[in-house]
Amino acid sequence: MSVPDHILEARSLARHYRMGETTVKALDGVSMTVAAGEFLALIGTSGSGKSTLLNLMAGLDRPTGGSLMAFGQNLAELSSPDMSLYRRQRVGIIFQSFNLISTMTAADNVALSMMFAGVPRADRDTRAQQLLDVVGLGPRSTHRPKELSGGEQQRVAIARALANAPSLLLADEPTGNLDSRTSRDIMARLKAINEQDGKTIVMVTHDAALAAQYAHRTLTMLDGAIVSETLS
Amino acid sequence: MIAGDTIHLAIRNLRQAKLRTALTTMGVAIGIASLAGMVSLGVGLQEQLVGRFLDSGLFDVITVMPQTSPIARAFGGRMAGGRRDRGPATPPATGGAPEPAARPLDDAAISALRALQDVKDASPTIVVPVQVTYGTVSEFTAARGVPLSSADESAFRTPKYGAFFANDTDHACLLILDLAKRLTTGDPKDLIGHDLTISYASTSADGSPLGFGMPTLVKQVQAAYRIVGIVEREPGPGGGIAGPGLSGVMLPLSQARAIDDTVVTGVQQLIHPSGAAKVFTAVTVRVKRAQSTKDVEDRIKAMGFSAFSISDALDQAKRAFVLLDILLSLIGSIALAVSSLGIVNTMVMSILERTREIGIMKAIGGSDADIRRIFLVEASAIGVLGGITGVALGWAVGRVINFGANWYIESQGGATGNLFSLPLWLVSGAIAFSWLVSLAAGVYPATRAAKLDPIQALRHD
Repeated sequence: MSVPDHILEARSLARHYRMGETTVKALDGVSMTVAAGEFLALIGTSGSGKSTLLNLMAGLDRPTGGSLMAFGQNLAELSSPDMSLYRRQRVGIIFQSFNLISTMTAADNVALSMMFAGVPRADRDTRAQQLLDVVGLGPRSTHRPKELSGGEQQRVAIARALANAPSLLLADEPTGNLDSRTSRDIMARLKAINEQDGKTIVMVTHDAALAAQYAHRTLTMLDGAIVSETLS
Repeated sequence: MIAGDTIHLAIRNLRQAKLRTALTTMGVAIGIASLAGMVSLGVGLQEQLVGRFLDSGLFDVITVMPQTSPIARAFGGRMAGGRRDRGPATPPATGGAPEPAARPLDDAAISALRALQDVKDASPTIVVPVQVTYGTVSEFTAARGVPLSSADESAFRTPKYGAFFANDTDHACLLILDLAKRLTTGDPKDLIGHDLTISYASTSADGSPLGFGMPTLVKQVQAAYRIVGIVEREPGPGGGIAGPGLSGVMLPLSQARAIDDTVVTGVQQLIHPSGAAKVFTAVTVRVKRAQSTKDVEDRIKAMGFSAFSISDALDQAKRAFVLLDILLSLIGSIALAVSSLGIVNTMVMSILERTREIGIMKAIGGSDADIRRIFLVEASAIGVLGGITGVALGWAVGRVINFGANWYIESQGGATGNLFSLPLWLVSGAIAFSWLVSLAAGVYPATRAAKLDPIQALRHD
């Protein structure tokens, strides 16, 4: 077996919170890797630290201990502007609650991340439309989030996550707010993105069956640590 | 992030909360209106007052005296002079800075002064003591020669009654209202068109002996002058050392000069009859524009005369107005300070409302600087919009107050004018100031928004 091409590597990664007198160890000494092109699932109960790990990978949070190498740079040491550059260029994030901006149309939501990347208006409008076409929402690009169903909103979010062409997609309970039929649709789309576009995906879920069905590898977390690894 | 996108996004955000944006903008507008209105009032008052000063004929006038004049020397050349001094020229004062050679103030000098650039007219200051008689009432007063070029001074342009001299050769006179009231028990207005008898002691051959043991070469001369007009008060500083206000009657300049040539004002004159060329004690120079007064004054000094104007006083008045402007703008700023707190409040509210949105923006790649800029542009937009509205509002309120004030002034018989002046520098300055204040008010909320923790923000409802 060849040496795996790791795009993410955590070593003794820790994230401690201070809550008054006590220290909450949301993440306590996690070491793991993510290979390029991999579909990885993080499962565990709430409070197990899976979302904390994902937020660290997303560059939304900073570790309090250990190191997290992503694309050759240590996220623990990045400056705030470099961190936002990392979020903009390297990762696309998909949330459980979609997190679309309610006052913007679907197309504007997709185009927003390109706006931060400095893409000219005409270019980003064209690309936003293309991305919405890909997720099957081309005709609904001028609709606002509340005019769309949950599944449709999540598809807009997927289009937005792909807008700046990141190589890593991070999904935090992407089907958590969806019924099972819609969930299968979203998961199928993520799988297609992984297999056809070669995007690396790290997905947080509490649904072990879903993880086993779609992910190549599943890490089970408990109390801020990885307790088991399952290949499927 | 492209600047145009930042502005676009900021304006979109403002439009999301139309009512709040409108109210905040109105707050800024009221602040700017009060500030611009106050400064506008200061500027307007200054223009009015300076304008009236200029109109008064005080500021475009330079009093010229020979350097040898004891009055000019006594007052360091800073006092207007007019006392008769027909004695031989005393040597220039020794010591002090070297000065141009002293020149006599004769007709040649007047011609030279008249020829100076920016000079409208130069005329000798002639004030002679006379007795005026109308009917049975007699008064001792001073008669002053007024050149025809003074016709545009406001006192003469619109005399209380009658009109200014038609020409320089008529036996005509203007009365000061005070004297006119003393001469008649009726309406001073009715004096217009009647003759006033002016008598003076003269060395001239014609005339009747005075008696009282005076030498027989002094005669009493009487002449009739038609009263053509009555003015409220004597304009200008040209009244001589005695100052304005003491002469009660004004004659055309050449008439006054004719009297001046022979009038007897002291015994000295009889003992030392002057055979030399006519020398004046003072010459009044009027410049074309009050702005060039200082300039002309300096050139006259370089010619070898003492010169004095009160344009210095105008400068001081202008300095006083700067203080008034500062005071008015401080008062006006209070409202703006309150409205800037309104901006802070609106922006902080907006951040609370949009916390989740800010979190999303950060999660998909918006940097702290992007977020800060969006909020600063929002504050700026409120400021500029409020500034423009405020200037318009201030202008409108100023017009209304001006209209009311002028209506009142007019009903009181005063002269109307613009109390509020809104020059372009004030318009642009007020809008720029509004922008700056709003930007400053936006710094705290914008920084707070930029520093939001994305994870906390995303959890926010």
